[in-house]
Amino acid sequence: MMKHRAHLPTVLGLVLAIGVVACGPSRDDPNRLTVWEQMDPAEQAMLREHLDMFEDEHPGVRVDVVHFETENLRQNFQTAALAGTGPDLVYGPSDGVGPYSIMGLIYELEDPRLNIHPDTLALYLPDALPKVNGKTYRISDQIGNHLTLVRNGAFAPDAPMTMEELIRVAKENTIDEDGDGRPDRWGLVFNLAEPFWLIPFLGGYGGWVMDESEHPTLDSEAMVGALALVRRFIDEGIIPPSCDYPLSDTLFKQGKAAFIINGPWSWQGYRDVGIDVRLSSIPRIPETGLWPSPSTASKGYSMNIHVPETRLDLVVDLMMFLTSADVVGRLSDRIGALPSRIDVGNWPRVANNPELAASWEQLRRGRQMPLVPEMRAIWDVMRPGMQRVVSGSATPEEAAQRMQEDALRKIEEMKL
Amino acid sequence: MSPTLKKVLWHAAMIVVVLITMYPVLQIFSISLRPGDQLYSTSLDLIPEGASLESFRTILFEKPFLRWLGNSLLVALSTAILGVTLASTAAYALSRFRLPGQKGILFAILTTQMFPATMLLLPMYLLMRNLGLVNSLVGVILAYTATALPFCIWTMKGYYDTIPRSLEEAAMIDGMTEVGAFWRVTLPLSAPALVITFLFSFLAGWSEFIVARTLIVSRELNTLPLGLESLATTFQTEWANYAAGSLLVAVPVVALFLGLSKFLVEGLTHGGVKG
Amino acid sequence: MSRRGAIALFLIPSALVMGLIVLWPFVYNLWLSMTNLGLYTIKDGPDFVGFAQYLRLFGEPDLYEYLLRTLIWTGINVVFHVVIGVGLALALNQKFTGRAFYRGLLILPWALPQYIAALSWRGMFNFEYGQINLLLGSIGMDPVPWLSTEVGAFAAALITNIWLGFPFMMVVALGGLQSIPKEMYEAADIDGAGSWWRLRHITIPLLRPVMMPAIVLGTIWTFNNLNVIWLVTNHGEPADSSHILVTYVYKAAFVYYRYGYAAAFGVLIFLILLVLTWMNYRQADKSAYGA
Repeated sequence: MMKHRAHLPTVLGLVLAIGVVACGPSRDDPNRLTVWEQMDPAEQAMLREHLDMFEDEHPGVRVDVVHFETENLRQNFQTAALAGTGPDLVYGPSDGVGPYSIMGLIYELEDPRLNIHPDTLALYLPDALPKVNGKTYRISDQIGNHLTLVRNGAFAPDAPMTMEELIRVAKENTIDEDGDGRPDRWGLVFNLAEPFWLIPFLGGYGGWVMDESEHPTLDSEAMVGALALVRRFIDEGIIPPSCDYPLSDTLFKQGKAAFIINGPWSWQGYRDVGIDVRLSSIPRIPETGLWPSPSTASKGYSMNIHVPETRLDLVVDLMMFLTSADVVGRLSDRIGALPSRIDVGNWPRVANNPELAASWEQLRRGRQMPLVPEMRAIWDVMRPGMQRVVSGSATPEEAAQRMQEDALRKIEEMKL
Repeated sequence: MSPTLKKVLWHAAMIVVVLITMYPVLQIFSISLRPGDQLYSTSLDLIPEGASLESFRTILFEKPFLRWLGNSLLVALSTAILGVTLASTAAYALSRFRLPGQKGILFAILTTQMFPATMLLLPMYLLMRNLGLVNSLVGVILAYTATALPFCIWTMKGYYDTIPRSLEEAAMIDGMTEVGAFWRVTLPLSAPALVITFLFSFLAGWSEFIVARTLIVSRELNTLPLGLESLATTFQTEWANYAAGSLLVAVPVVALFLGLSKFLVEGLTHGGVKG
Repeated sequence: MSRRGAIALFLIPSALVMGLIVLWPFVYNLWLSMTNLGLYTIKDGPDFVGFAQYLRLFGEPDLYEYLLRTLIWTGINVVFHVVIGVGLALALNQKFTGRAFYRGLLILPWALPQYIAALSWRGMFNFEYGQINLLLGSIGMDPVPWLSTEVGAFAAALITNIWLGFPFMMVVALGGLQSIPKEMYEAADIDGAGSWWRLRHITIPLLRPVMMPAIVLGTIWTFNNLNVIWLVTNHGEPADSSHILVTYVYKAAFVYYRYGYAAAFGVLIFLILLVLTWMNYRQADKSAYGA
């Protein structure tokens, strides 16, 4: 403890030296690109492969990747871009596009400086090109993120065709094996704590979060119907009332649930532990005859508005490369991502793969979430509303009305 | 009550406390053993079905855990050394020299902690960018030291105040300078406070996430908290690996604490001068 | 070296580091709080709006509820942290076999990363499958609806934070106990004093100078602690009823992009803490602060 003071100058000198070395290359280096992402491990591995391919084709060029968790990516990109720095490309789900575009942090792809020909963009599915006010801000390499009905083939060999059938089969599968008064197997599990899981039912009852003029429509009959359905699952005893994401995930992995509603990122994890995973669309709502519409999103690349002139063309090249037919096709083949390009899509690749086909079918019945920043307020009020209904402290009618009031208020406040 | 009974009861109480403290840690250990990345479990079993130590192997050898460890050690040790140095000296001046406006200075130091950290991130980023310290460990070390200093200065000062000034005066009468007296007389007697300061500053640098996340953006510089975050995406996280990593992260801290606690608990006499 | 020189050498480096890293962001936030920087004003630059954000803040209906909850949160946490910490320090200060072993284990809550510890605790509070209810069930008690009720969720976050925070107080207390000369205890023994008397009249008063910084700063940190509540209650479960002041600031800034408003909120929190600490400063025994 006493010696440290004598060594202090040495230590400080060392630290400073390391710091300088660690500072990294100059920002304007035309051959050094950076990508920030929030990908799953499998996607990250493939990204590295693709970047190696890109580097081989462009000798002397290096692409660095930094991984973030989605929310952290959003905040960090904002912070960096607001300060005039940040990565060249940022990869993430389409909902990031709304705020980034309004804050002026990312390029419009129609910008003449980028030299992207409209014909190039026409090769992508409309859902793969998130737009705000008619301008495109992102190119996606996959679409999806859609909740799907996943069933354990050992308990529910057939896909239920209607919601009533799902509830019936789920009830049959809610079994108390050891007679302790608590089910050891549950019919249905999903995340009751996040409104993302409410959205499919909202669409199934014919409603949506906002209308064409971006006005929230949360106090609709459809919302009441959706909330009532969730409440019904709980009242029928087929789902544990305290079911959040980790619990639903664990129960399904342990073979203690017949059905789970979850998205593509999770399916492989279930297969890995030996569950006989079968996919199908969330079944039709008999009262309306509609298919529940989970929200769909695409994941893709946007360009930072601060990309220096010296690298602009190279960054555009990289972005187009990472969303080229070749790369998108490989993603689809290797990790089952649904392709974002028309030339890669439909088509034997998907039809010949039953898993992809089922996933694609659900995706077609899904609906893209609006990208406007007002959505943040809407998500934020749907969460407590859903929780109130789940915990029984409000009726669906009361919760829906409150959601609408709160949403209107918070949207106004966002402008202050 | 007989001494033996007292001893037994006392040990029993300690064991209960330790068990309560350890239970969540054991839960985390269970997560690391569970196959399939399950954060929750559905039973009281601590050793899950199909338990394996695979996650430890993965985190140590397939992830750049050792690099994260190296970066964190550098950051935490630098923060600790810098923190102890600056705090022990500043506190000495405040304790011994009765500066004008001293109460104000002490209070002002305290106020630097009162602002909620979330709002400091953007300006800190701007500042570091202007200093050219974004994406460098030096920036992070400076930030951590600055946030650890108030506690360290106050603690050192509080401890110095319990050491009589007469000891240093006696040394100076014998021919030592002020600085010499500080070095040879005060510091050794303050070992327990130095330990607290060192440990606190080390932990400030070791387990902090938000500031590191804002300032560091290249993989090579990832500290342990950032490295662990790379195992997470929005809904899916590699929980088994994360849990294993978290337990490993705690090991150096426990080792450091045990190593330092020699100075923390062995009583030091003050030479019977206290009057 | 001259006395002046020593003073300068000793004080300036600290002042520099703290000034730079903490003072500037604070000033920035003061400026920010008087603008309307938000989602729609970032692109073209915000306007200066004077105290408008503060006025809006005081008109916020839930402000006082958040403040009250924050005060209760802070108070209960600090009391438990200190009592448990000091208690354990006293126990660990005596020599006994296996002391090092206990010490190593008891510091684990501080040593583990908060993120997974908080989420793990959240799992333990799950109604159907959490370990806590399972344990209660095994001794014949009814399960407690922790996270689905306001009080339960608050309690869950409290328990988690108490667990996370007591080792810090324990370590500080252990250090502080070393500053108490043995002679005082010996003298008390000669006078035939019991352990309770020793605790009240020797240990606690002499422990105070070293514990005070930890308690004061611990209070401030707990007041501003976002992580634990956020993670344990999944952003404010049930239905946004678990918010304290800082979680609300976080939402304003990072969910709603209302940077100007959030900055004003930050300044308000700062002022509240300033006033509370100042009041305590004047009241408490001055020597406890070593003034």
